[in-house]
Amino acid sequence: MTKKQENYLRAILSLFSMVFLLYSGTTLLKRVKIDFTEERLYALSDGTKSILAKLDSPIKLKLYYSKTAAQKGTEGLRVFNNHFTYIRELLRDYVANSRNNIELEVIDPRPDTPEEEDALAYGLRKFHLTETETYFFGIVAENESGTEKIIEFFDPAQKGNTEYELTKLIYSALNPKKKIIGVLSSLDVINEEVSPYVAQIMRMQGKSVQDSWLVTNLAREFHEVKKIALDSEQISGTDVLVVIHPKGFSERLNYAIDQYLLGGGKLLVFVDPAAISDPSVATAGGVSSSPDPGFAKLMEKWGIELKPKTFAGDKHLSASGRFDPNQPPGRLLAIMRCNQACTQGNDSPITGGLNNLTMVFPGALVKKDVEGIKHSALLATTDRGNSYTASGFQLNRPQILWRKFSEGTEPVVMAYKSVGKFKTAYPDGIPPDGKKEKKGKKAKAAKAQKKKAEHLMESKKESAVVIVADVDIINDQFAFKRSFLGPAIANQNSTLFLNAVEALIGSVDLLSVRTKGMVSRPFNAITAIELEAEKGTKDKVREINASIAKVQAELSQLGRKANEGNIAILQNVGLKKKKQLAKQIAGLKRELREVKRSGRERIEGIGKFFQLLNTVFIPIIVIILGIWYSNRRKWRMSQFGAPQEEKPVENKVLKSVGGEV
Amino acid sequence: MINRVCKELFWKEFSSYFKTPLGYVFLVIFLFGTGYLTFEPGRGSFFIMREASLTSFFAYIPWMLLLLVPAVGMRLWAEERKSGTIELMFTLPITIRQAVLTKFFASWAFISVAILGTFPILFTVAYLGDPDWGVIFLGYLGSFLVAGSFLAVGCFFSALSKNQVISFILSIVACSVILMAASPPVLDFISTFSPKFVVDVFESLSVLNHFELMQRGVLQMSNIWFFAVTIGCWLYGNMILLKENRAS
Repeated sequence: MTKKQENYLRAILSLFSMVFLLYSGTTLLKRVKIDFTEERLYALSDGTKSILAKLDSPIKLKLYYSKTAAQKGTEGLRVFNNHFTYIRELLRDYVANSRNNIELEVIDPRPDTPEEEDALAYGLRKFHLTETETYFFGIVAENESGTEKIIEFFDPAQKGNTEYELTKLIYSALNPKKKIIGVLSSLDVINEEVSPYVAQIMRMQGKSVQDSWLVTNLAREFHEVKKIALDSEQISGTDVLVVIHPKGFSERLNYAIDQYLLGGGKLLVFVDPAAISDPSVATAGGVSSSPDPGFAKLMEKWGIELKPKTFAGDKHLSASGRFDPNQPPGRLLAIMRCNQACTQGNDSPITGGLNNLTMVFPGALVKKDVEGIKHSALLATTDRGNSYTASGFQLNRPQILWRKFSEGTEPVVMAYKSVGKFKTAYPDGIPPDGKKEKKGKKAKAAKAQKKKAEHLMESKKESAVVIVADVDIINDQFAFKRSFLGPAIANQNSTLFLNAVEALIGSVDLLSVRTKGMVSRPFNAITAIELEAEKGTKDKVREINASIAKVQAELSQLGRKANEGNIAILQNVGLKKKKQLAKQIAGLKRELREVKRSGRERIEGIGKFFQLLNTVFIPIIVIILGIWYSNRRKWRMSQFGAPQEEKPVENKVLKSVGGEV
Repeated sequence: MINRVCKELFWKEFSSYFKTPLGYVFLVIFLFGTGYLTFEPGRGSFFIMREASLTSFFAYIPWMLLLLVPAVGMRLWAEERKSGTIELMFTLPITIRQAVLTKFFASWAFISVAILGTFPILFTVAYLGDPDWGVIFLGYLGSFLVAGSFLAVGCFFSALSKNQVISFILSIVACSVILMAASPPVLDFISTFSPKFVVDVFESLSVLNHFELMQRGVLQMSNIWFFAVTIGCWLYGNMILLKENRAS
């Protein structure tokens, strides 16, 4: 073999070895990784590890991904390919942490094969890429008793939720004993009258069907959810009681809640000074608020008060949006976008780590010291938040709300957790039910039985109540959004609900998995400018309105003075005043435009400055340095001949190595 | 211990970029291009997204490098071969391996200067918000490694042909292939004449997949392995070609 042939052979061999090394090495070394993200997005959370460590029966995971089809698709499918790789590696981490209890199978279902039939039979979602190619991307978990749980489709856009979804899948496939959540509400939160199947048929027939709130459906994935009737006189058999918008409850029902808590029951309560999710508001108008005095009496014993007609507001957490379609978008005080600022400082598993909640007209909670009860804040505004009062039509006028609001110095609390031994709000025992006592033997027997039933004056053991001052937070309208795959989780509102339920039940593993998510990193500097500009705008609007009101008052005063003799003069005066006012308003409006324009221009200016800094600043410096360096070299060459560094390196080396070369 | 000749050669190569217009053209186009694309008026624009992360910045880095790194690499050996100075180099008291590595690292250092020249974006994002510096660090590390891979490819083709234009075009084609190896249209083409196993292997050669993973903030050992092997193997090919040249 000649030297040339040998070299060619080596080149070909090195090409093959490169491909081999790349493929084998990257496949083998994928599992070793370092997560650089602040939120540790790519490492398995402790909750998942804890659930995996508790596995005591085998689970088989079948990951269906149409890889061959995806490799033939459009460029857009590369995102899905990458997501598949991410999920596959994540599942391998699951297998590694499962003490051999999880078996993973990756299946590429080709069209018209038994694998495709299986995928369809399991209920995975099928998409058509072309006329011949179909696409699946889902997973099936099977436990040893044959119970199957599926995720019908993985959406790369929901990447932050993937670990939670997978852990949930495994958790539900284990089929642990379900806990019971009782839901008690003045609203139609749960509709048990029709099954989802019947509801679908009814909808197809064009009939309107009231669905249960979606958060309760999410809770159903792990637990049993039952509706507690409003005429109940005793609450038992539930692990946690969720009370939503308590108003109009009978005394007996409030007493039952009181005794349920004292008996060791756990309570999750949603109250609201203005619940816009109450359908009666839409039909009859007005404001739907809770708690009513009856329930407020219970809360008083817990040491928590919701101030009536008072709302928590925070300029820095207010959402941008459009209240009126004819108005330009602006900041809305009523809609609060709670980020990490609302939950930082509390290490509760319920809200710790949450950074994306949407609240509508949240109320302001105030705690009172009650012996034996410890309160901890779960959700609060920033230090600059404050409470404001508003009622009736004012709630529909964003400008009025802004006028009523002023920045505060202390956070306003919107959710509390109270733990301890509670005292009854009914020291005299069962309140009368208002109906006539039944007579006869039966009534006597019932009375005797009631006496027997132990009336609790205080908790025997520690119990817990979580109170959230917003009902809308868990309503479908604010916790979910529509997507082409049906309703999708819009924010972490539902997470707050499920976290609170599970923390009260005592299963905290799923909690830590769920709260893992992306931290939003907004442009704080720009937000500050926007807020400043809006404050200026508001001041100007206030000034304009004050001027209008003043002139209107003057005009009406003139009107009152008018009689037949002076009406012509007064009309002239009125006209003059009107003209003056129009002039004044025009001036103020100009100033208003100026404030708005200057705010916008400042933001645009910052954008332009940074654009210039990043596009032309360094290139210009490079050009200047290049010209300077070139001139310097030319000058040195003209002065001293070729500069030192111009000499070829070989010459220097030749000199240094002498005659050896 | 690094050979003194290697040091001399390194500085000669590195400083040569600043003595010719090529270096400045490269720096200006690269810095202007990345800055412009990051702020381009579109939905993915840095300023419009209002997210204190450099996703929209790193998204364009591989594509800018794809165009410009072969331009840096094309002259490395082709010029030496054309002017005949390669013969002189072979007479130096350094091995071919040392010569290849020295030239490679000198050019890589120059490209790194260009990448570091984008530092105003760090001030920008720090002023505007509260970025995740770990993710940004990994994004920059990934950018250096992508540049190194493309440069190794450029070195190889520069040694293959005396003509700089040919080596430039071949480098761009080869870099595009390894950049977009996981792109479904490319895989579809490969699957028309190869079995599925080959398609899977081909997919694992993608530079973009490894870079995107790093840019999201997770560093797998496989990423480091991938870039190290890619650079090592192309440079090894470069050495073989030079030995072949010397033999002929």
